[in-house]
Amino acid sequence: MEIEIKKSLSELLKKIRDNYFVVIIVFLLTAISAFSFLIFYENGLGLAYNDARSHLDIGRRVVEGLKPGLAQLGSVWLPLPHLLMVPTIWNDFMWHSGLAGALQSMISFVATGFIIIYFLKQLGVGWFGRIIGVLIFVLNLNILYLQSTAMTELLLIALMMAGAYELLIWFKNDKILNLIKAAFWVMLSTLVRYDGWFLFAFSVAIITIQIFRKKGYKATEGTVIFFATLAGFGIVLWFLWNQLIFKDALYFMFGPYAAATQQKQLAEAGVLATKGNLLFSIKVYIYALSYNSNTFLLFLGFVGAIALWLDKNIRMSIKIATSALFAPVIFNILALYLGHSVLFIQGLSGNTWFNARYGIMMLPSFAIFIGYLVQRADKLRGLLIGLMIFVLFFSFANLDAVTIDDARVGSSQKNVTEVSGWLADNTKGKPGFVLISVASHDAIIFSSGLPMSRFIHEGTGAYWESATSYPDRWARWIVLRTNDLNDQVFKAIRNTPGFKNYNLVGKYPFADIYEIKKEFIPLLNTEASLGKQR
Amino acid sequence: MKKLPGTFLTIGLFLFCVLILMLSVRGIAGNPDSYNLNTNFWKEDGPFELSPERGRFALVYSLIEDNSFYFSHDIARFAMPDLGYKNGHFVSLFAPGVSFLVIPGYIIGRFFEAGQVGAFAVIALFALFNAFLIRKIAIALGINPYAASLGALVFLFATPAFAYGVSLYQHHISTFLILVSIYMLLSFRSVWSSAVIWFLFAMSIPIDYPNLFLMLPIAIAAFLKNFSVEEIAHRIRFKIKFAGFLAILAVVFPLLFFMWFNASSYGNPFQFSGTVQGVRGLDESGNPIAPKSSGKPKNAIAFFQTRNLLNGFYIHFVSSDRSILWFTPVIFISIVGIYLFYKNKSGAILSLLLGVVGMNVLLYSMWGDPWGGYAFGSRYLIPSYAILSIFIAFALSSFRKNIFFAGLFFVLFSYSVCINTLGAITSSSNPPKTEVLALEAQSGKEEKYTYQRNYDRLLANQSKSFFFQAFAKNYVSAMQYFALLSWLIIMMGFSFVLILFLQKERNKVNGD
Repeated sequence: MEIEIKKSLSELLKKIRDNYFVVIIVFLLTAISAFSFLIFYENGLGLAYNDARSHLDIGRRVVEGLKPGLAQLGSVWLPLPHLLMVPTIWNDFMWHSGLAGALQSMISFVATGFIIIYFLKQLGVGWFGRIIGVLIFVLNLNILYLQSTAMTELLLIALMMAGAYELLIWFKNDKILNLIKAAFWVMLSTLVRYDGWFLFAFSVAIITIQIFRKKGYKATEGTVIFFATLAGFGIVLWFLWNQLIFKDALYFMFGPYAAATQQKQLAEAGVLATKGNLLFSIKVYIYALSYNSNTFLLFLGFVGAIALWLDKNIRMSIKIATSALFAPVIFNILALYLGHSVLFIQGLSGNTWFNARYGIMMLPSFAIFIGYLVQRADKLRGLLIGLMIFVLFFSFANLDAVTIDDARVGSSQKNVTEVSGWLADNTKGKPGFVLISVASHDAIIFSSGLPMSRFIHEGTGAYWESATSYPDRWARWIVLRTNDLNDQVFKAIRNTPGFKNYNLVGKYPFADIYEIKKEFIPLLNTEASLGKQR
Repeated sequence: MKKLPGTFLTIGLFLFCVLILMLSVRGIAGNPDSYNLNTNFWKEDGPFELSPERGRFALVYSLIEDNSFYFSHDIARFAMPDLGYKNGHFVSLFAPGVSFLVIPGYIIGRFFEAGQVGAFAVIALFALFNAFLIRKIAIALGINPYAASLGALVFLFATPAFAYGVSLYQHHISTFLILVSIYMLLSFRSVWSSAVIWFLFAMSIPIDYPNLFLMLPIAIAAFLKNFSVEEIAHRIRFKIKFAGFLAILAVVFPLLFFMWFNASSYGNPFQFSGTVQGVRGLDESGNPIAPKSSGKPKNAIAFFQTRNLLNGFYIHFVSSDRSILWFTPVIFISIVGIYLFYKNKSGAILSLLLGVVGMNVLLYSMWGDPWGGYAFGSRYLIPSYAILSIFIAFALSSFRKNIFFAGLFFVLFSYSVCINTLGAITSSSNPPKTEVLALEAQSGKEEKYTYQRNYDRLLANQSKSFFFQAFAKNYVSAMQYFALLSWLIIMMGFSFVLILFLQKERNKVNGD
């Protein structure tokens, strides 16, 4: 049997593709994004990460609470994700559904899909390779999950990829506008996570190499200072912020809630095995990469990267530019080796998961390298795609998503629910504040469903000072971990006379709940009488 | 040197391979009854050292001796721990195809008071067929016949295919079906050849269920042959051969056989053996002790997890207890062949061959037990060794005048032959490294997990070769027997390398 179609029909299809490509891709990616969010919203996994709930709470505290304001952005965690929540998180549904935070992840998901396509276009990859590249990114359960949450990975990925993309164009055409755009995106990424700081340094390094190769020292000096000033502006702002709010420019690095403090405790407990051990750091991160991106795709990505570097048709400047795609893996291994980061892989680091999601950062890079490989190895296109489909089939059929395991294990959700459930059942309709440490129990605040203004915490200024000095005058309930000096509430009130006026009403593995004795209720302050405290 | 006639070469190679396989096939003379089968003589110390062999032979014995799909108590005990229980009967947990195929060998062997040897010899026959299919496919692809012969030798004797060509496993039958299908696909274009391919595709499932995936690239290639696209002037013409779709009906007969077996054994034509309840043990009365059940239905897909890939790759390619690197490093020469093939030959053929290899490697890297239980080398990759041997032949054909390449190949070939001959004539019962500690706690002594374990058996004068046990042990030690076999194979390999090298020189002399 024979079927003939006119070539003009295929030309028409190509025209539709070229003219309506943006609309089609936006529609498809948005549909996938929205569908994924709905699935994870329905099954409750969208809020499984403790960190996601904490991020949402931080955003909420800026707009609602006993002392709302930008100061609630705090330290340690960089501010951009929380700032982006502010326009929507005042709404209770947006807060408690997680959508206020997930929205930026979803938009970043769509944006990253676009960037992958355009990045591959800049590398001379045809339509087929570009579609494969974006599919590698989109058809990843870990990405689909993370983009449905208020976690910061997708936002960081989008900003880092945007910076890498503009850098690539600048490397190609040497136009100052692209350098400015690259600086802008890198600057934004430095306000999301510290991975962005490394990208900043890495970008400065490769720009230095490129300009020095082409134009010599003088041009290098000027260009690098120009770029570094723009791209590093966010970093300078962050030091300034810490100095202004916490009176210590390095508060985010060495303060009581800093990662370094956490890492120090882990190292003293002997569980920071990657610190000082380069090989083990590499091993752990390779496992994280493998579990997040799929080992076979990791392998193909690696082959694609080599093929790109060996391609004589690609200029050296382009190859140098694409090295920015490796910034996440270099950063993460360095961070593990220096003890600035912690990552637990079940089986390697005991029987638990922690921060395994860090391995997702390289997925867009792999998507680009695989898209390139599919283009280059044209004789084996069918084979590569067939094998990728084979592996992805099992990935989806078995719902293999390490980020979900990471969320479930890290959350100790059941224990949080016990405490937050008690609060929800026993404090609604009754006046009075809850004294609690957000550093330890932000997830409980979120899960209780109570308004932020019911809670006295470290960020409420005078309320905190008063409540920790005279708890029986301010807090009807206290949530703390008894005998744990890491819990700031326990640390502050353990020796106060007022603490004796409480009954232990709930003892749970995650935290204990104390309620003031009935005879002291009339003496309580139940109104926000100290004002917003400007 | 006179030019060797091709037929003489082929016959000589055939006879050589038959000789080596005959000298290596495992077994003991005798026709044991069901009681004697349960003794150490036949099990741990004999040819039925591991449960895959026992499970398959149990079905053979039941069908021929007891005329039943169900196992007697003795045979059930023999088949443990791979024993199923369904509707009050003990049944096999293995796909039935291997058992059915070795029945003729068992019957013939039984006539000569060596039923078990006869059954095992059928697998050796398939191993022999596979070697010659590799050679045939290689020649069909334009590879020098001597290089093709070397490729066949590499597969048969320099990979774990050797150890599993002399015992009762499914790998050589699966490989045979794959190679025949590939050969049909490359050499024939008719609807009948397509029908044969689909028949073999369906036939492969009762041999071993994962063959469904291993043969999928071949099935897809056969299916796509019914379509073609060409550009003519201002039109694009799509051609569809509907007759080719009719060939798919050839799957019916093997599937009917498979359903008949399932119905006879499990009472349900659609019940796979892997989903039958297993038996943990038998009590004194011979009643089954069922394993603790989770209450959830078994999901076949769940056996293959993408998260296992990293570990699987490590086990198959690098680990000291199973990998290609340690057991058959000559296979890495195929990388050169693949690269040359990519540069010079059809992408479609390369995609087909590498598709099977890719499915094989990926599937058994996702598998929860990439070690293959107690095994010798990476047995699950035997189909891949077969296809990669074709690429080795291609590399040898291309670089036959390069003395460094020839030297490198010969060194790797010799090493691989020694290791795999060691495995073939001693035992396949090597534990995975992860179980060694538990094993040492049990035995109270150091337990090895690499081919060193086989070497220790050799030093203890232990060989499971039928010929050694029946005849040769009266004249030579196991070590000498091993040395003789290895030397013969290496010399045969060396001869082909030399012929390849000299062939070019001869052409120069003649001014060709």
